[in-house]
Parts: sequence; structure tokens; C-alpha cells
Amino acid sequence: MPLMARSTDGLPGPWASMFVLAGVLVLPAAGWSQEAAPPLERYRKLEFPPQSENFDKGWKDRVALEFEIVNAADLESLRAALKDKDAFVRSIAARTLGILADKESAAALAELVKTDPEAMVRHRAVESLGHLKQMPEVIELARKDSDAGTQWAARLAAGELASKTDFAAHVRQAYAGGIRREDMDKAKVGQPAPDFVAQTIDGNPFRLSSVVGKKPIAIYFAAFEG
Amino acid sequence: MHQQAQLRLKKDEVEKLGAEAYVVLALDLHRTKAFKEENLLLSRGEGTFSKEPSLVFATALSDPAGRASALYGVSRKCLRWGSWVENHPCWFVIDRRGTLTYVSQPSFSTPTSYVTDIDLVLEALKKAAK
Repeated sequence: MPLMARSTDGLPGPWASMFVLAGVLVLPAAGWSQEAAPPLERYRKLEFPPQSENFDKGWKDRVALEFEIVNAADLESLRAALKDKDAFVRSIAARTLGILADKESAAALAELVKTDPEAMVRHRAVESLGHLKQMPEVIELARKDSDAGTQWAARLAAGELASKTDFAAHVRQAYAGGIRREDMDKAKVGQPAPDFVAQTIDGNPFRLSSVVGKKPIAIYFAAFEG
Repeated sequence: MHQQAQLRLKKDEVEKLGAEAYVVLALDLHRTKAFKEENLLLSRGEGTFSKEPSLVFATALSDPAGRASALYGVSRKCLRWGSWVENHPCWFVIDRRGTLTYVSQPSFSTPTSYVTDIDLVLEALKKAAK
């Protein structure tokens, strides 16, 4: 995978190039000085970093930047960010490199699993080793991590190793669809339920509008432990 | 997970209403499947649901980029209670006409508050079924 010219999944090279060109053309109109900062730098400078006290603040910025990092950050910057002083930056870099299937980062991710002082970084690093299907011995080691969340991530990563499915490819495809800020937070009581697309556990596409209007529906958006 | 486990106990009531239940996870397919089919969390303790092999009756949906979660305003991508959390857990009920009629974020205020949470969801489903 080239460092700077990563192609969007499903798009042939020329189409990907056109998107890059279109992006360059649009940038000045969108506010050049602010938009020019690399997405990882803007993540580092989030007004509301993903700390507990900001749980309900600034989430749209975090969502938008995560899409941008997965879709547009270059591998070289992401690999360097695994050694960043900011644990949140290390964490999102570790997560993104797994999604992007960057096997060259496996050794650095393994090092994070074994030595990073922050549990959320170890958690994301071991999750990514699962996506990469690399370093089974490190994943096994993480099952005895001092942090319960990391143990859990390791258990799931071990299961991913045993599967032939490229789950990271599904994640990349989901991010490639992008997200518009104006589409966030659209669900309001008394209004039509916003449509969305997801996948059933069999890998089949599911569109909410295919069932809405026919029967009453309960939807629970879960955290894994929720 | 308690929310889903409690909903499973009310499966007959949900089906009697002709309703559908879905649970959306901002996780990839592998992890969503594990959520649906394996009782990884509650099997670790001695609680009500610890002996059950699977606790989820709702149709599990994978939303790996969290796009649906963001659309519904529940995406958080943040630390909470010392762990990484993708979503703020939240219930939505949609009536037969496709209108959102109920939104509720579980409080997790007591060890058994999920019982009340699910009772309220069922009440909302009954109204939505009319």
C-alpha cells in the first residue's frame, strides 16, 4: 500500500485521483488555513478531547475527524503517531492502522500492547493486531492485561485471528461512505425516523427504511458493555 | 448488555405486539456477532444472567464507522468510567407510521434499573403499535 496515495476502497485509481483533485479544488473555498492542518494535528487540538468530562461535548468534532483520519491520513504520519506523547493520538493512530490493514505497523502495535501505560492505547493496539491477523502471541499475552477492557479486546482479537474474513475491509468500506456534519443528531421525537444502513451479523445489508412504516420498532444503540 | 438481557425476557410481549427489536453496535461484524452470540461480559460474574450462553434476542446490526450512531445523535467516541465507549447507550421507538415516538438513555443508576428501562420501552412499543 503506497504511503500517500491510498485509494478509496472500490474506486479505481483514476477515480480516487479525481476525488483528491476535487478536494484540492474545494479546500480554498472551505477555509484554507484551517482545513490545511493534517487531521491528526486537528485531533490533537480538539476543543473537547475524548476525556470522560467531555462525554457529551464536542462529539460531532470527534466523529467528523475520525472519518477524516481513516479516509485521508497518510500511513507515514499514522505510524509516527504511535509514538506521540498524547495518548489519544496514539490510540486513534493504532486503531486506524488496523482498519487500514497496515501490516508494516504490526511490530510497533505489538510494542504498544506490551508497554504502553494507557489502557485505551493497549486496547486499540490489540484490536488492530486482530484486524491485521498478526502477532498471536502478543494477543494472547494481552488476555492477561491488567485492564479488563484490554483483556476483552484481546479475546475478541484472538477470535478474529481464527476467521478468514477481512473484517477491517468492512470497516474501511463503512468509513469510505463519509459523513456530513449536518446529518448528525437528526433523530427527534415527533419526526420521521432517519434512515440508515448497517449490516446483519450474516454480513447482509440492512436498511432501516425497509422495515419502518410496517410495524413498531425498538432500536437500542449499545455500547459493548451497555 | 443488561438491557438486552432484560428485553430477551420480554420477547413474547414484543412479538405479541408484532414489533421488531434491533440493537446497533458501532463495531465491526466480528465483534457484533460476538455481542449477539456470546455472553462475554455477564458470564464473568455471579449475577442474574451469568449462566446464559447468549443474552441478545434483538437483531444485531453492525455499524462499524458509527455513522448510524452519529445520525441518531448517540455517538460519543470517548472515555467513560475508565473505558473507551463508542456510543451513549440509547433506546428509540418508531411507530407504525415511521415516526420517532420515544427516546430514552438508560441511567444505569441502580444495579437493576434496566428492569424499569425495558418496561418503559415496552410501554412505548404498545403505544407505537396502535
